[in-house]
Amino acid sequence: MRRPLLALLSAAALLATTAACGGSSSDSGKGGTDKVTAGVIPIVDVAPIYLGKQQGFFSERGIDLTLQTGSGGAASVPGVVSGQYQFAFGNVTSLLVARDKNLPLKILTNGVSSIGVAGKDFGAVVVKGNSPITSAEDLVGKKVSVNNLQNIGDTTVRASVRKAGGDPSKVGFVELPFPDMPAALQNNRVDAAWVVEPFLTQSISQGARPVAWNFVDAAPNLTVATYFTSERMLKEKPDLVKRFTEAMNESLAYADAHPDEVRKILGTYTKIPAEVIADMTLPKYPTEVNRASVQTLADLAQQDGLVKNKPDVGALLSELG
Amino acid sequence: MSAPLSRLALRVAQILALPVFLIVLWWYLSRANTSLFVPTPGTIAGVFGEVWTPERLRTDALPSVLRLLAGFSLAGVLGIALGVLIGSSPRLRAFSEPVLEFFRAIPPPVLVPVLILFAGIDSTMKVAVIISGCIWPILLNTVEGVRAVDPVLADTCRSYGIRGGTRLRTLVLRSASPQIMAGLRQALSIAIILMVISEMFAASSGLGFTIVQFQRGFAIPEMWTGIVLLGLLGFGLAMVFGVVERRVLSWYLGLRRAARGSN
Repeated sequence: MRRPLLALLSAAALLATTAACGGSSSDSGKGGTDKVTAGVIPIVDVAPIYLGKQQGFFSERGIDLTLQTGSGGAASVPGVVSGQYQFAFGNVTSLLVARDKNLPLKILTNGVSSIGVAGKDFGAVVVKGNSPITSAEDLVGKKVSVNNLQNIGDTTVRASVRKAGGDPSKVGFVELPFPDMPAALQNNRVDAAWVVEPFLTQSISQGARPVAWNFVDAAPNLTVATYFTSERMLKEKPDLVKRFTEAMNESLAYADAHPDEVRKILGTYTKIPAEVIADMTLPKYPTEVNRASVQTLADLAQQDGLVKNKPDVGALLSELG
Repeated sequence: MSAPLSRLALRVAQILALPVFLIVLWWYLSRANTSLFVPTPGTIAGVFGEVWTPERLRTDALPSVLRLLAGFSLAGVLGIALGVLIGSSPRLRAFSEPVLEFFRAIPPPVLVPVLILFAGIDSTMKVAVIISGCIWPILLNTVEGVRAVDPVLADTCRSYGIRGGTRLRTLVLRSASPQIMAGLRQALSIAIILMVISEMFAASSGLGFTIVQFQRGFAIPEMWTGIVLLGLLGFGLAMVFGVVERRVLSWYLGLRRAARGSN
């Protein structure tokens, strides 16, 4: 605490939060600020939360937001369950798997969505320019790299293969970090690579050729990832959750309407070269979770054996989402 | 009659006391814990049999162990051969020492992306990662061991005209063997660590791979069974190594015992 005023404010915030726990959930945040930590991944997908923080959408709702970066969707789940993070960003398939293991998670609002048009999306399966593979069906019997196995990448690539008439169980998947994929493709270590931006632009500039748009093939306007919280948080601090969700929705809408500012903020928290930032395809940031597409991902997860039980999509989505 | 038997019982109790105590402590601390991430030993033991079926042991544990043994033995052969070469020539040693120290200081996990470029993503890369990490203790210990050959014995060899393969076998390797074995022992534990790490990159089978997959799928008790299996594997390998070491170094251990006895 550098200033007495700040100390006073945070004392007020503390009082306000205790009051909220006591049951009065009306306007606890008005008097002060709630300290909130959100778990994110330093990738293109989370640009809205960085932008929203910069624009003051969180602070004007009494949320003092700290963004903590982790390595993947699955990494932030334990953080939210343990209460270390109040909110986090994670892909839908990870959350469905977590929910299948009885982790009490709830989706609050959309995170990032597919553009929904083949040829224009932010993720695709690419092959080397001179590869004989020309369609998703040709991936059968080939080695395809994904960033995480048993997750949204391989299930949606299998959906592409299935849609094209191939046998998805005969596609061999191997795990590689996205940044290593363009080189692995060039050196024929893998036959195809599922990449998202900025690695899609990067590999195409090196002569790679997209053969399947897995997010587009899986479902129309697929919701890829979302912001989520724990059931405990939703029960104990409904007002804070509501304010966070509102701020998040405002951030998403702002990001969707201001692509130039998204490109600008990417330079602050990622290491993507400036020229790639200028060229690459940005995803869509709608505020609505596309429930039908979450159901599709749930069906795909069940079909591919990622979850044991039939996923209860309704239980994962909160009323706010 | 009963004296050796009770001694054996005491020895077994000595070996088991600490593990049993730790398991009981773990059980006691985790019994009231509802956190998914800290299962009780009972849960883990119950899941162990389900997870590590003979089928899975064959598809995931066996490739790991084979890669481990391949990497460890290749590192052993390379490390001892180069060590003998460098250790026998003071000039070569002075020439290569700084470079060896440089390479030794590089943590092998950071080499993985580079090794993928050269060696691909298959078993070759994983064996290369294991070699790149566990060759150093073997190599440097061999160099030291060869350098420290007793000059009297070396002179004796020379006056009897013993040279070439016989000299290498009976003098150089023999007298360096305590150091070589110490290097191999260190290398074995490094090899187990690197076996797991190498399987966290670009893998589709293996123990490290399976543990990471369980962790990502929030299959926490299953993940713990993988860690327990790794511990058991390390323990088993160390036991086997101990038996081999006692055989190889029996002359040395006997010598030491005799020296101690005569003092």
